[in-house]
Amino acid sequence: MPDEDSEKDAGASAGDQKEEETPAAAEQPEDSKVEQPPAAEQKAEEEEDARPRPPAGGIADLLAAAVAEALPGVKLEAYQGMTDVIVEVERDDILKVMSVAKDDPRLALNFLRCLSGVDQEEDGFEVIYHLMSLEKKHDVVIKTNVARDDAHVASVASVWKAANWHEREARDMFGITFDDHPHLVPLLLPEDMTDHFPLRKDNPLAEIEEWQGDELPEEGFGGSKTR
Amino acid sequence: MVQEHELEPETVDIGVNMGPQHPSTHGVFRMVLTIDGERVVDVEPHIGYMHRGAEKLSESMDYRAAIGFQDRTDYLAQFMNEQAYCMAVEELLELEVPERSEYIRVILCELNRVTSHLMFLGAFGIDLGYFGTSFTYGFRERERIQDIFEEVTGDRLMYAYFRPGGLAWDVPDNFVQMVRDVLPHTRQGLKDLDLLMTQNEIVAVRTKGIGAMSAEESINWGLSGPLLRAAGVDWDLRKDKPYSIYDRFDYDIPLGSHGDLFDRFLVRLEEARQSLCIVEQALDQLPDGPIMPEKMPRRLRGPEAEVYTAVEGARGEYGVYLVSKGGDKPYRLKMRSPSFCNLSALRDMTVGSYVADAVAILGSIDIVLGCVDR
Repeated sequence: MPDEDSEKDAGASAGDQKEEETPAAAEQPEDSKVEQPPAAEQKAEEEEDARPRPPAGGIADLLAAAVAEALPGVKLEAYQGMTDVIVEVERDDILKVMSVAKDDPRLALNFLRCLSGVDQEEDGFEVIYHLMSLEKKHDVVIKTNVARDDAHVASVASVWKAANWHEREARDMFGITFDDHPHLVPLLLPEDMTDHFPLRKDNPLAEIEEWQGDELPEEGFGGSKTR
Repeated sequence: MVQEHELEPETVDIGVNMGPQHPSTHGVFRMVLTIDGERVVDVEPHIGYMHRGAEKLSESMDYRAAIGFQDRTDYLAQFMNEQAYCMAVEELLELEVPERSEYIRVILCELNRVTSHLMFLGAFGIDLGYFGTSFTYGFRERERIQDIFEEVTGDRLMYAYFRPGGLAWDVPDNFVQMVRDVLPHTRQGLKDLDLLMTQNEIVAVRTKGIGAMSAEESINWGLSGPLLRAAGVDWDLRKDKPYSIYDRFDYDIPLGSHGDLFDRFLVRLEEARQSLCIVEQALDQLPDGPIMPEKMPRRLRGPEAEVYTAVEGARGEYGVYLVSKGGDKPYRLKMRSPSFCNLSALRDMTVGSYVADAVAILGSIDIVLGCVDR
């Protein structure tokens, strides 16, 4: 989102403005960037982790307060995604944070909408939890990262039963082990297919599966001359 | 003197396999029941027979090409899936959908909800053990609406009619009249089904108090749609997280109180009626105008971001989680299918009931296996 980047940049370059910008105050006109060319260097440095802050007083603050009370020392990193507030949690804290998220009356995130795995290649796997509260009508996305060679995370099936099948699916597709899952056996894949994870990026589609032309190529696919 | 333990006959639990080819499983679904006499003591559902890897295949296709997979997940409520997917791409690319397209989408989605529920009402009669009548009633009315869909999209099942930003093409000139002509028939059809089933002794005996799940359990299991509302939870994404233009219409969300099969049936019946109300209002308000945004890029390229959009499908929350790393293809596409989540609670609903009820309970979840397996 280029707009918000430049806003942030304008705030940083102005110098005399406060660190804690409210979104309304941060809406400086674009031209402030043009007037101060040195800001461009600063921008390049900050580009790396330029993540827009979630709105103040929103779900991110509630979650941070509840976690700080119940679990001192647990670190959360919150930022505003395109449609949701995203909170990153350390892998080993996930079960504790989830229990707080569900049981704390201010949050009451009682509904697990979706649990997905994403293969981030050299950055390992992400496990993404889409949570929602039917009472408070708010939602939040919680993310955690697991290493490729140590792909396991605590199961949240004890918090929401809905996680049961989602976690089995994520294990099928990405090979992420969910510790203490009640029944972690293949769900969508055949029972004996426990060493092949189709949705990993190092498991590409066959050439013919990716092919989208109108006519089959003369030379065939994958070295084979047969059509 | 006979020893006391000899009087007790030794009983053995029997494993019974149902499916994958079995008419009552609504597709290729297999469940292994462990039964003690007539009582079910354990259920192990086996899914994945229809797993076609739509999520993986979408990663190699550009944003428009992947629409076709949405029809092939929940193939009884295709427009809702397309809507959820297109909304995700629209959020990602920050596209504004023209008014006319929004209205046409709502009309088609709500008609689609009616066809889906008609299918349920028809098939549910078969699951409960009286063949024929409900099925023919349901299909007769479904067919009329299906004809409209065919007229509009050119296809009977796999429409692929919605596009990121709007629609593939405009509806025919007589679209409004076509829909208006069908509505009275559909109303009558729903009334027929109501008269046939609601007071029916077979339905009452086979459904009341069967397969009940409490509100709290339903939420914990991630149930959504009519199943959740039958348990008395007032939750409908159209009302509670309004998307598209659903906040412009006046309609009710029917609720059950027991969460049993009878409530699930009633909720769906009423929901179909409410959908017809939305269609009528949308037809009255349908504006003229373009169907696609003016500045529509030829090639859709998303920024590096992720979005999650959800619609209230016929079976519950159909969500699309789309991760983009730039470029014209999704980096990861996850479909949160309501059938998958609803079916995961099957064991808790079924254990303790009779074998014959297991079929009815499965029917009441109204699964679509294409949606479960994706």
